[in-house]
Amino acid sequence: MVDTQWPVYEVFHQQARGEPHIHVGAVHAPDAEMALVMAKEQYCRRQACVNLWVAPATAILATEYQDGDMFEHATDKSYRESWGYKTPKTIKTSDEETSK
Amino acid sequence: MATMETLQDLDAPLKSAVIDLLYRLADDAIIIGHRGSEWTGFAPILEEDIAFSSMAQDDMGHAHAFYQMLHELGEPDPDTNVFGRKLDQWKCASLVSLSSERDWAMSLVRKYFYDVAESLRLDSLAKGTLIPLAQLARKLSSEKKYHLMHGHMWMPRLGKGTSESHQLMQHAVDTLYPHALGMFESTDADSLLDQAGVCPQENDLQQRWVAEVDKILSEATLKVSVQSSPVYGGRVGEHPDDLATLLENMQLVYNLDPSAKW
Repeated sequence: MVDTQWPVYEVFHQQARGEPHIHVGAVHAPDAEMALVMAKEQYCRRQACVNLWVAPATAILATEYQDGDMFEHATDKSYRESWGYKTPKTIKTSDEETSK
Repeated sequence: MATMETLQDLDAPLKSAVIDLLYRLADDAIIIGHRGSEWTGFAPILEEDIAFSSMAQDDMGHAHAFYQMLHELGEPDPDTNVFGRKLDQWKCASLVSLSSERDWAMSLVRKYFYDVAESLRLDSLAKGTLIPLAQLARKLSSEKKYHLMHGHMWMPRLGKGTSESHQLMQHAVDTLYPHALGMFESTDADSLLDQAGVCPQENDLQQRWVAEVDKILSEATLKVSVQSSPVYGGRVGEHPDDLATLLENMQLVYNLDPSAKW
Protein backbone atom coordinates (compact mmCIF):
# COMPACT_ATOMS: atom_id res chain seq x y z
CA MET A 1 0.00 0.00 0.00
CA VAL A 2 1.20 3.47 -0.88
CA ASP A 3 1.32 5.93 2.00
CA THR A 4 -1.04 8.56 0.68
CA GLN A 5 -0.03 11.23 3.17
CA TRP A 6 -3.65 12.31 3.22
CA PRO A 7 -4.84 13.98 6.39
CA VAL A 8 -6.35 11.88 9.17
CA TYR A 9 -10.01 12.28 10.12
CA GLU A 10 -11.31 10.92 13.41
CA VAL A 11 -14.57 8.99 13.07
CA PHE A 12 -17.51 9.12 15.49
CA HIS A 13 -20.33 6.66 15.17
CA GLN A 14 -23.91 6.79 16.51
CA GLN A 15 -25.74 3.51 16.98
CA ALA A 16 -29.23 4.91 17.53
CA ARG A 17 -30.86 8.33 17.51
CA GLY A 18 -30.40 10.06 20.84
CA GLU A 19 -27.33 7.97 21.73
CA PRO A 20 -23.97 9.76 21.96
CA HIS A 21 -21.56 9.66 19.03
CA ILE A 22 -18.67 7.42 20.04
CA HIS A 23 -15.15 7.59 18.69
CA VAL A 24 -14.47 4.39 16.73
CA GLY A 25 -11.24 5.10 14.84
CA ALA A 26 -9.84 7.15 12.00
CA VAL A 27 -9.51 7.24 8.22
CA HIS A 28 -7.15 8.91 5.77
CA ALA A 29 -8.96 11.07 3.22
CA PRO A 30 -8.27 14.04 0.94
CA ASP A 31 -11.16 16.02 2.45
CA ALA A 32 -14.01 15.75 4.94
CA GLU A 33 -16.69 14.58 2.48
CA MET A 34 -14.44 11.81 1.24
CA ALA A 35 -13.67 10.91 4.85
CA LEU A 36 -17.40 10.33 5.43
CA VAL A 37 -17.57 8.07 2.37
CA MET A 38 -14.59 6.06 3.60
CA ALA A 39 -15.77 5.94 7.20
CA LYS A 40 -19.12 4.46 6.20
CA GLU A 41 -17.53 1.26 4.91
CA GLN A 42 -14.71 1.09 7.46
CA TYR A 43 -16.90 1.45 10.53
CA CYS A 44 -20.54 0.80 9.60
CA ARG A 45 -20.50 -2.25 7.40
CA ARG A 46 -20.84 -4.66 10.30
CA GLN A 47 -22.69 -2.72 12.97
CA ALA A 48 -25.85 -0.68 13.27
CA CYS A 49 -25.34 3.01 12.53
CA VAL A 50 -27.71 5.92 12.07
CA ASN A 51 -25.25 8.79 11.86
CA LEU A 52 -21.55 9.44 11.35
CA TRP A 53 -19.29 12.35 12.25
CA VAL A 54 -15.81 12.97 10.96
CA ALA A 55 -13.48 15.65 12.25
CA PRO A 56 -9.94 16.52 11.19
CA ALA A 57 -7.53 15.02 13.71
CA THR A 58 -5.69 18.34 13.72
CA ALA A 59 -8.81 20.00 15.18
CA ILE A 60 -8.43 18.02 18.37
CA LEU A 61 -6.48 19.44 21.29
CA ALA A 62 -5.39 16.75 23.76
CA THR A 63 -3.79 16.61 27.17
CA GLU A 64 -0.31 15.13 27.65
CA TYR A 65 -0.04 11.72 29.30
CA GLN A 66 2.78 13.09 31.44
CA ASP A 67 0.19 15.40 33.02
CA GLY A 68 -1.95 12.39 33.95
CA ASP A 69 -1.43 13.05 37.67
CA MET A 70 -3.75 16.05 37.39
CA PHE A 71 -6.66 13.58 37.01
CA GLU A 72 -5.86 11.92 40.35
CA HIS A 73 -7.68 12.94 43.56
CA ALA A 74 -5.29 13.84 46.33
CA THR A 75 -7.92 14.21 49.06
CA ASP A 76 -11.23 12.60 50.00
CA LYS A 77 -13.96 13.84 47.62
CA SER A 78 -16.56 11.24 48.57
CA TYR A 79 -18.95 14.11 49.39
CA ARG A 80 -19.33 14.48 45.60
CA GLU A 81 -20.78 10.99 45.26
CA SER A 82 -24.17 9.65 46.23
CA TRP A 83 -22.50 6.71 48.01
CA GLY A 84 -20.72 9.28 50.19
CA TYR A 85 -23.98 9.86 52.08
CA LYS A 86 -26.02 7.75 54.47
CA THR A 87 -29.70 7.53 53.58
CA PRO A 88 -31.65 9.45 56.27
CA LYS A 89 -33.86 7.28 58.47
CA THR A 90 -36.97 9.37 57.80
CA ILE A 91 -36.92 8.50 54.08
CA LYS A 92 -36.49 4.82 54.92
CA THR A 93 -39.48 4.97 57.27
CA SER A 94 -41.56 6.74 54.69
CA ASP A 95 -40.64 4.07 52.08
CA GLU A 96 -41.52 1.29 54.45
CA GLU A 97 -44.84 2.92 55.24
CA THR A 98 -45.86 3.30 51.61
CA SER A 99 -44.98 -0.32 50.87
CA LYS A 100 -47.22 -1.54 53.71
CA MET B 1 -52.26 -0.65 -14.84
CA ALA B 2 -53.02 -4.03 -13.29
CA THR B 3 -50.52 -5.21 -10.73
CA MET B 4 -49.26 -8.78 -10.39
CA GLU B 5 -49.09 -9.75 -6.73
CA THR B 6 -47.06 -12.93 -7.19
CA LEU B 7 -44.74 -14.46 -9.78
CA GLN B 8 -47.48 -17.00 -10.52
CA ASP B 9 -49.63 -14.19 -11.97
CA LEU B 10 -47.32 -13.92 -15.01
CA ASP B 11 -48.65 -15.39 -18.24
CA ALA B 12 -46.23 -17.42 -20.36
CA PRO B 13 -44.92 -14.69 -22.73
CA LEU B 14 -44.53 -12.14 -19.93
CA LYS B 15 -42.86 -14.75 -17.74
CA SER B 16 -40.15 -15.36 -20.33
CA ALA B 17 -39.70 -11.58 -20.73
CA VAL B 18 -39.22 -11.24 -16.96
CA ILE B 19 -36.74 -14.13 -17.00
CA ASP B 20 -34.78 -12.32 -19.72
CA LEU B 21 -34.81 -9.11 -17.64
CA LEU B 22 -33.71 -10.91 -14.46
CA TYR B 23 -30.79 -12.59 -16.24
CA ARG B 24 -29.59 -9.21 -17.50
CA LEU B 25 -29.85 -7.72 -14.00
CA ALA B 26 -28.28 -10.71 -12.26
CA ASP B 27 -25.44 -11.29 -14.72
CA ASP B 28 -24.44 -7.61 -14.76
CA ALA B 29 -24.43 -7.58 -10.94
CA ILE B 30 -22.43 -10.78 -10.38
CA ILE B 31 -19.80 -9.86 -12.98
CA ILE B 32 -19.31 -6.27 -11.76
CA GLY B 33 -19.12 -7.78 -8.26
CA HIS B 34 -16.43 -10.20 -9.41
CA ARG B 35 -14.53 -7.38 -11.12
CA GLY B 36 -14.78 -5.34 -7.91
CA SER B 37 -13.46 -8.26 -5.84
CA GLU B 38 -10.34 -8.34 -8.03
CA TRP B 39 -9.27 -5.16 -6.23
CA THR B 40 -9.35 -6.73 -2.77
CA GLY B 41 -5.84 -6.25 -1.43
CA PHE B 42 -4.79 -4.13 -4.42
CA ALA B 43 -6.75 -0.86 -4.30
CA PRO B 44 -4.61 2.30 -4.18
CA ILE B 45 -5.36 3.01 -0.52
CA LEU B 46 -6.50 0.85 2.38
CA GLU B 47 -9.78 2.69 2.96
CA GLU B 48 -10.74 2.39 -0.70
CA ASP B 49 -9.74 -1.27 -0.73
CA ILE B 50 -12.28 -1.96 1.99
CA ALA B 51 -14.97 0.26 0.45
CA PHE B 52 -14.58 -1.25 -3.02
CA SER B 53 -14.59 -4.81 -1.70
CA SER B 54 -17.62 -4.11 0.41
CA MET B 55 -19.52 -2.70 -2.57
CA ALA B 56 -18.52 -5.78 -4.57
CA GLN B 57 -20.19 -7.88 -1.90
CA ASP B 58 -23.31 -5.72 -2.16
CA ASP B 59 -23.41 -6.29 -5.93
CA MET B 60 -23.00 -10.03 -5.49
CA GLY B 61 -25.81 -9.95 -2.95
CA HIS B 62 -28.03 -8.19 -5.49
CA ALA B 63 -27.12 -10.82 -8.08
CA HIS B 64 -27.99 -13.59 -5.63
CA ALA B 65 -31.41 -12.06 -5.01
CA PHE B 66 -32.12 -11.89 -8.76
CA TYR B 67 -30.89 -15.48 -9.32
CA GLN B 68 -33.09 -16.59 -6.45
CA MET B 69 -36.11 -15.02 -8.16
CA LEU B 70 -35.10 -16.74 -11.40
CA HIS B 71 -35.04 -20.02 -9.51
CA GLU B 72 -38.58 -19.33 -8.26
CA LEU B 73 -39.53 -18.90 -11.92
CA GLY B 74 -38.22 -22.39 -12.71
CA GLU B 75 -34.64 -21.58 -13.71
CA PRO B 76 -31.66 -23.47 -12.18
CA ASP B 77 -30.61 -22.65 -8.62
CA PRO B 78 -28.15 -19.72 -8.16
CA ASP B 79 -24.99 -21.86 -7.81
CA THR B 80 -25.73 -23.97 -10.88
CA ASN B 81 -26.60 -20.84 -12.81
CA VAL B 82 -23.43 -18.93 -11.96
CA PHE B 83 -20.92 -21.77 -11.97
CA GLY B 84 -22.47 -24.03 -14.56
CA ARG B 85 -23.41 -21.71 -17.43
CA LYS B 86 -21.41 -21.52 -20.67
CA LEU B 87 -20.13 -18.24 -22.11
CA ASP B 88 -22.88 -17.78 -24.73
CA GLN B 89 -25.59 -18.30 -22.11
CA TRP B 90 -24.57 -15.16 -20.21
CA LYS B 91 -26.55 -11.93 -20.69
CA CYS B 92 -24.23 -9.32 -19.16
CA ALA B 93 -23.20 -6.13 -20.97
CA SER B 94 -19.62 -5.79 -22.19
CA LEU B 95 -19.13 -2.90 -19.74
CA VAL B 96 -18.89 -5.32 -16.83
CA SER B 97 -17.11 -8.07 -18.77
CA LEU B 98 -14.01 -6.06 -19.69
CA SER B 99 -10.92 -6.77 -17.64
CA SER B 100 -10.01 -3.92 -15.29
CA GLU B 101 -6.30 -4.53 -15.99
CA ARG B 102 -5.56 -3.10 -12.55
CA ASP B 103 -6.42 0.34 -13.95
CA TRP B 104 -8.02 2.20 -11.09
CA ALA B 105 -9.57 4.98 -13.19
CA MET B 106 -11.18 2.40 -15.49
CA SER B 107 -12.58 0.47 -12.55
CA LEU B 108 -13.95 3.55 -10.87
CA VAL B 109 -15.59 4.97 -14.01
CA ARG B 110 -16.97 1.56 -14.94
CA LYS B 111 -18.45 1.09 -11.47
CA TYR B 112 -19.99 4.56 -11.60
CA PHE B 113 -21.50 4.03 -15.08
CA TYR B 114 -22.95 0.73 -13.89
CA ASP B 115 -24.26 2.15 -10.61
CA VAL B 116 -26.18 4.96 -12.31
CA ALA B 117 -27.77 2.39 -14.62
CA GLU B 118 -28.62 -0.08 -11.87
CA SER B 119 -29.99 2.68 -9.71
CA LEU B 120 -32.29 3.90 -12.51
CA ARG B 121 -33.42 0.32 -13.15
CA LEU B 122 -34.17 -0.30 -9.48
CA ASP B 123 -36.09 2.99 -9.23
CA SER B 124 -38.28 2.11 -12.19
CA LEU B 125 -38.75 -1.52 -11.12
CA ALA B 126 -39.78 -0.28 -7.67
CA LYS B 127 -42.68 1.58 -9.33
CA GLY B 128 -43.48 -1.36 -11.58
CA THR B 129 -46.48 -3.68 -11.65
CA LEU B 130 -44.69 -6.90 -10.71
CA ILE B 131 -44.97 -6.60 -6.94
CA PRO B 132 -42.33 -9.15 -5.79
CA LEU B 133 -39.76 -7.50 -8.07
CA ALA B 134 -40.87 -4.00 -7.01
CA GLN B 135 -40.38 -4.96 -3.36
CA LEU B 136 -36.96 -6.45 -4.05
CA ALA B 137 -35.92 -3.35 -6.01
CA ARG B 138 -36.89 -1.06 -3.13
CA LYS B 139 -34.86 -3.18 -0.73
CA LEU B 140 -31.75 -3.23 -2.92
CA SER B 141 -31.80 0.47 -3.78
CA SER B 142 -30.79 1.43 -0.23
CA GLU B 143 -27.33 -0.06 -0.83
CA LYS B 144 -27.07 1.59 -4.25
CA LYS B 145 -27.41 4.97 -2.60
CA TYR B 146 -23.96 4.58 -1.05
CA HIS B 147 -22.44 3.25 -4.28
CA LEU B 148 -23.65 6.37 -6.09
CA MET B 149 -22.38 8.62 -3.34
CA HIS B 150 -18.99 6.93 -3.66
CA GLY B 151 -18.93 7.60 -7.42
CA HIS B 152 -20.19 11.17 -7.05
CA MET B 153 -17.30 11.87 -4.68
CA TRP B 154 -14.55 10.32 -6.76
CA MET B 155 -15.49 11.38 -10.31
CA PRO B 156 -15.02 15.17 -9.93
CA ARG B 157 -12.07 14.79 -7.56
CA LEU B 158 -10.09 12.69 -10.02
CA GLY B 159 -11.39 14.50 -13.11
CA LYS B 160 -10.21 17.81 -11.69
CA GLY B 161 -7.36 16.46 -9.57
CA THR B 162 -4.06 16.64 -11.44
CA SER B 163 -3.35 16.59 -15.16
CA GLU B 164 -2.36 12.93 -14.77
CA SER B 165 -5.59 11.96 -12.98
CA HIS B 166 -7.63 13.94 -15.51
CA GLN B 167 -5.92 12.16 -18.39
CA LEU B 168 -6.48 8.72 -16.83
CA MET B 169 -10.14 9.48 -16.18
CA GLN B 170 -10.71 10.87 -19.68
CA HIS B 171 -9.11 7.75 -21.14
CA ALA B 172 -11.45 5.61 -19.04
CA VAL B 173 -14.52 7.59 -20.18
CA ASP B 174 -13.42 7.38 -23.85
CA THR B 175 -12.90 3.62 -23.58
CA LEU B 176 -15.95 2.73 -21.50
CA TYR B 177 -18.74 5.05 -22.69
CA PRO B 178 -19.59 2.95 -25.78
CA HIS B 179 -19.73 -0.16 -23.58
CA ALA B 180 -21.89 1.68 -21.06
CA LEU B 181 -24.39 2.50 -23.82
CA GLY B 182 -24.36 -1.22 -24.58
CA MET B 183 -26.09 -1.80 -21.21
CA PHE B 184 -29.25 -0.48 -22.92
CA GLU B 185 -29.18 -2.89 -25.86
CA SER B 186 -32.83 -3.58 -26.56
CA THR B 187 -34.10 -7.14 -26.42
CA ASP B 188 -37.25 -8.93 -27.57
CA ALA B 189 -38.55 -8.60 -24.02
CA ASP B 190 -38.53 -4.78 -24.05
CA SER B 191 -41.95 -3.88 -25.40
CA LEU B 192 -43.76 -6.61 -23.48
CA LEU B 193 -42.20 -5.52 -20.17
CA ASP B 194 -43.08 -1.91 -20.95
CA GLN B 195 -46.69 -2.67 -21.92
CA ALA B 196 -47.21 -4.70 -18.75
CA GLY B 197 -45.75 -1.86 -16.68
CA VAL B 198 -42.92 -3.98 -15.25
CA CYS B 199 -40.20 -1.56 -16.39
CA PRO B 200 -39.62 1.05 -19.10
CA GLN B 201 -38.00 0.38 -22.48
CA GLU B 202 -34.22 0.28 -22.63
CA ASN B 203 -33.91 3.42 -24.80
CA ASP B 204 -36.01 5.31 -22.26
CA LEU B 205 -33.61 4.24 -19.48
CA GLN B 206 -30.66 5.14 -21.67
CA GLN B 207 -31.91 8.72 -22.07
CA ARG B 208 -32.21 9.07 -18.29
CA TRP B 209 -28.77 7.53 -17.84
CA VAL B 210 -27.16 9.91 -20.35
CA ALA B 211 -28.73 12.93 -18.64
CA GLU B 212 -27.61 11.79 -15.19
CA VAL B 213 -24.07 10.86 -16.22
CA ASP B 214 -23.62 14.04 -18.28
CA LYS B 215 -24.11 16.15 -15.16
CA ILE B 216 -21.32 14.42 -13.26
CA LEU B 217 -19.01 14.23 -16.25
CA SER B 218 -19.24 17.96 -16.84
CA GLU B 219 -18.71 18.60 -13.13
CA ALA B 220 -15.61 16.41 -13.45
CA THR B 221 -14.52 18.33 -16.60
CA LEU B 222 -14.65 15.07 -18.58
CA LYS B 223 -16.00 14.88 -22.13
CA VAL B 224 -17.89 12.32 -24.15
CA SER B 225 -16.57 11.73 -27.64
CA VAL B 226 -19.21 12.48 -30.29
CA GLN B 227 -18.38 9.29 -32.17
CA SER B 228 -19.34 7.19 -29.14
CA SER B 229 -21.54 4.46 -30.61
CA PRO B 230 -22.83 1.61 -28.44
CA VAL B 231 -21.12 -1.78 -28.20
CA TYR B 232 -23.91 -4.37 -28.33
CA GLY B 233 -23.95 -8.15 -28.10
CA GLY B 234 -23.85 -8.86 -24.38
CA ARG B 235 -27.61 -9.27 -24.05
CA VAL B 236 -27.62 -11.97 -26.75
CA GLY B 237 -24.60 -13.92 -25.49
CA GLU B 238 -21.82 -12.34 -27.57
CA HIS B 239 -19.01 -11.40 -25.23
CA PRO B 240 -15.44 -10.11 -25.25
CA ASP B 241 -12.69 -12.68 -24.53
CA ASP B 242 -12.24 -11.08 -21.12
CA LEU B 243 -15.49 -12.67 -19.96
CA ALA B 244 -14.33 -16.13 -21.07
CA THR B 245 -11.20 -15.68 -18.95
CA LEU B 246 -13.24 -14.48 -15.98
CA LEU B 247 -15.68 -17.42 -16.19
CA GLU B 248 -12.84 -19.91 -16.50
CA ASN B 249 -11.39 -18.50 -13.30
CA MET B 250 -14.70 -18.15 -11.43
CA GLN B 251 -16.02 -21.59 -12.43
CA LEU B 252 -12.75 -23.51 -12.03
CA VAL B 253 -13.31 -25.06 -8.62
CA TYR B 254 -16.99 -25.83 -9.19
CA ASN B 255 -16.21 -27.62 -12.44
CA LEU B 256 -13.73 -29.95 -10.75
CA ASP B 257 -16.78 -31.68 -9.29
CA PRO B 258 -20.17 -30.06 -9.95
CA SER B 259 -21.94 -32.57 -7.70
CA ALA B 260 -19.79 -31.81 -4.62
CA LYS B 261 -21.68 -30.69 -1.52
CA TRP B 262 -20.34 -27.55 0.21
